[in-house]
Amino acid sequence: MSKQDNEYKRDKDNKKDNSKTATFFQDIKNLLSNNLLFQGEKQQEGFILTGSGQQEEDSKGEERKTEQKKEPSKKPVRVQRTLPKEDSKLHQEEGGLGSLLVDFQLKINKKYVEEIYSLPKNKDIVLREFMINFNPPIHAFAVFVDGLSDNSIINEFVLRPLMFFHKNKEIGIPDLAGFIKDNILPGNQVDVVENYKDIVEKINYGGTVVFIDGSPKALAVETKGWDRRSIGKPEAEQVIRGPHEAFNETLRSNTALIRKAVRNENLITEMFKIGKRNKTDAAIMYLEDLANPTLVQEVTRRIKSINTDYIGDTGVLEQFIEDHPFMIAPQILGTERPDRVASFLVEGKIAIIVDGTPNVLIVPTTFFSLLHSAEDYYLRMPYGNLVRLLRFAAIFISILTPGMYIAVTTFHQEMIPTDLILAIAASRQTVPFPTILEVFLMEFAFELIREAGVRIPGVIGNTLGIVGALILGQAAVQAGIVSPILIIVVAITGLASFAIPNYSMSFAFRGTRFIFTILAAIFGFFGISAGFYIFLSSLASMKSFGVPFLAPMGPKTRSEPDLFYRGPVWEMEERPDYLNTLDRRRQPKVSRKWTEDKGEENNE
Amino acid sequence: MNEVRIGHSEAAALAIICIGAKAFLGFPRFLAKMGATAGWMIILLAGIFSMVIWFGLSFLLQRYPGKSLTQITNHVVGKNLGLVFNGVILIYIIVATSIHLRLFSEAVVITALPQAPISALALLFLISVWIATHLGLEALSRSAAIAFPYLLIGVLAVLIALYPFWDFKNLLPFLGEGVTAVVTNGFFNITSFGEIFILAYLASFFSFSARRLRNVGLFSLGFVTLAFLFIVIVYLMVFPMPVATETLAPFYQLSRQIFLGRYFQRVEAVFVLFWTFTAFFYLSAGIIVSAVIIKEAVEIPYHRPLIPVLSIFIYCLALTPGDIVEIININRLLIVYGWAIIFAIPCLVWVLAMIKGKRGGPVDAQQQEEK
Repeated sequence: MSKQDNEYKRDKDNKKDNSKTATFFQDIKNLLSNNLLFQGEKQQEGFILTGSGQQEEDSKGEERKTEQKKEPSKKPVRVQRTLPKEDSKLHQEEGGLGSLLVDFQLKINKKYVEEIYSLPKNKDIVLREFMINFNPPIHAFAVFVDGLSDNSIINEFVLRPLMFFHKNKEIGIPDLAGFIKDNILPGNQVDVVENYKDIVEKINYGGTVVFIDGSPKALAVETKGWDRRSIGKPEAEQVIRGPHEAFNETLRSNTALIRKAVRNENLITEMFKIGKRNKTDAAIMYLEDLANPTLVQEVTRRIKSINTDYIGDTGVLEQFIEDHPFMIAPQILGTERPDRVASFLVEGKIAIIVDGTPNVLIVPTTFFSLLHSAEDYYLRMPYGNLVRLLRFAAIFISILTPGMYIAVTTFHQEMIPTDLILAIAASRQTVPFPTILEVFLMEFAFELIREAGVRIPGVIGNTLGIVGALILGQAAVQAGIVSPILIIVVAITGLASFAIPNYSMSFAFRGTRFIFTILAAIFGFFGISAGFYIFLSSLASMKSFGVPFLAPMGPKTRSEPDLFYRGPVWEMEERPDYLNTLDRRRQPKVSRKWTEDKGEENNE
Repeated sequence: MNEVRIGHSEAAALAIICIGAKAFLGFPRFLAKMGATAGWMIILLAGIFSMVIWFGLSFLLQRYPGKSLTQITNHVVGKNLGLVFNGVILIYIIVATSIHLRLFSEAVVITALPQAPISALALLFLISVWIATHLGLEALSRSAAIAFPYLLIGVLAVLIALYPFWDFKNLLPFLGEGVTAVVTNGFFNITSFGEIFILAYLASFFSFSARRLRNVGLFSLGFVTLAFLFIVIVYLMVFPMPVATETLAPFYQLSRQIFLGRYFQRVEAVFVLFWTFTAFFYLSAGIIVSAVIIKEAVEIPYHRPLIPVLSIFIYCLALTPGDIVEIININRLLIVYGWAIIFAIPCLVWVLAMIKGKRGGPVDAQQQEEK
């Protein structure tokens, strides 16, 4: 054996030894792990959401590659018809469909639609193919969303005329879509569309779009017809005197309700789409000859500038456009009453409506309009004032009563007449807690009953209030946990907080009450005074769309008798000064002409 | 120019509340000590004197429309001397505000919370004032205008509810300590109306003309003089002479006297709500005016960042005196000699402006150029 062979053999043996040691260690490791560690199958939930899989795993570079690879299957084979580059830039920002146009060939269009709506996976979308009865017959198809569109309208006013009328008509018309729109389709809203972005918008909002073979344009027919709640009664703003209509969830019904109340050609409805993913329809309504143009501009600017995914309610929109998100009082009024919106519109304010919500926003809003109710104006002046007086008293009661009670019983006992203080002392004799704890216990219980009452289904909800309030209160007193006088205090406070006509404002007052209670518990009346000072300063510093929140009281501007006291309707001659409306005068100095006429007649 | 614009009613309300706030402290007693039964004449004379001075000084303000007294001082005497003049005024306002912070806190101890530590009460005053001043001068003046009528109703309610105790005989002898005492003290007491200079130092924030500012000032002074007169006369009528010089918190004593049947008595605690409210306005105005003076004297763009510093400084200064007696003595010194600063310096600036023949013209032109 040569030297080389020996070396080779040694190497081989070494390698063998090395691999042997490696397997030996591997065996030991396996032995240890088998005996010391749990080897059973990992128990998993049925399904764990771990992100969107492929997309997350792929790096950015790979992402691009897969997009490129996927493209042939995603997009039709044919070269796409698109808008010129300058136009398409605009559209591309809004979504992928921006620049895509309707094709001449029906099968290409079908492919587009199938891809856009992921057909046939997506079962909501109906794609109905048919022949238009021309000579020779032309292939066509209609697309609509099942449930959003009215089937009978589609059958009667889209398919029927196209399939049966104008039988054997010779074709050779250059603008086929235009001809069909003008001569065949009897629907009251038919548009010729050629951009897929518009087409998808129409289909998504209940329309039916008809594609025709050989035509580079499609027809969008208005066939909205989903199930909707009918016009009902207001839930939160009920009145005895005055209309009983309330808004519902459909934007168009709501705009119609407002237009019905304000029959004026200057009533403008501007439409917007908010939200990138959902494109919620929103509208602003105002009287063009009244509303301050800069105000309209500001409202439009704020709404248009919102860049978000989804806005489903005016409550969300309100938070996007309000001036002071961290202040306790709301700066925008939400109402469900068309008559109220109408009265604000003729004052020169602006209404904001969002599709899918029965609450309409009013801007700008002042503190006082949040405290007024529609009924104040419908009742005769003395009664209206009585109601208002009661309501303003309710505000103070709801904010201050628990605080006052604590301040008086803890720090300023000299204020209470002797008999009463003896009664209070006797009733508190068995109570083991300090007054502040007692108040917080009961306030907490009350708020709990209120919140539970809202969440619990109808029938039980009503009874819960009675059960909660009566039995809990009675039991608490008998158990000696709270004093009977406190039950009265909490009950009156709760009642008063429900007398505030605006839902948001009543929340604001309820929140403030707790602050006042704490301040009163530490500093007595001095604490209440400090709280009031901060509250007043914060209200005075706020603005709603450029209008001071406490206007016309702070800053003092000219105003009609309609703040705390409500003057006679014929005395309210001018619109609020703070709105700077285009037409200040609401009615002439003498609006009751008959009073003058009578005088003249007598003179004669 | 400032973005904040304050209307004339807001300005007047703020001035009236700030001047009038001292009526809830020992001021009526102080007058009773100075002029005995003729204490009310002192305040009448002091009111008239201060109105005359304000009328004269308003010509200085009219020379420089849209400019505050700080800016005018800077313009008339130059920046360096202006810094000294404005600095003295600033120190005066800071000291006056801290004295009042202490006095108001002491008054809360006397009237409502006898066991509370003075530092805690001063702290609550300060926190509220801090928040309010942070929210801005506009908010402050607006809330003053809103609160003013209710505060007035509160004061009038106390005075009128005391009607059964009014005794005109207590106002005799008519001339009290004598004509000389009345006239001299009448002049020295103009310091009590020194807060009217809030209007002059905030002049750059007003949306109205300098001429109107003069009228606002005159109206405020006239109104406060009448209010003081009413309070002092009622005080002297309710409390006979030796007693009137001994009450620690005269207005509180007045409200304690109210007895309108079994259920409407001992309502003094309710009036804590009213007078502490005026205290908040007084302190807020003190802090915000100090901040504005600093801003305009050294020409920095904002005054808001100065507020926390000033607040804490005033708080510390307020707690420095040992006890209430000490602080009352300091306050007496301030009332008797304060005019030498708060009235004399603006008068000096006025005289200098007249001698130098300086007017607002060049400044305005410069301002327009800047625009």
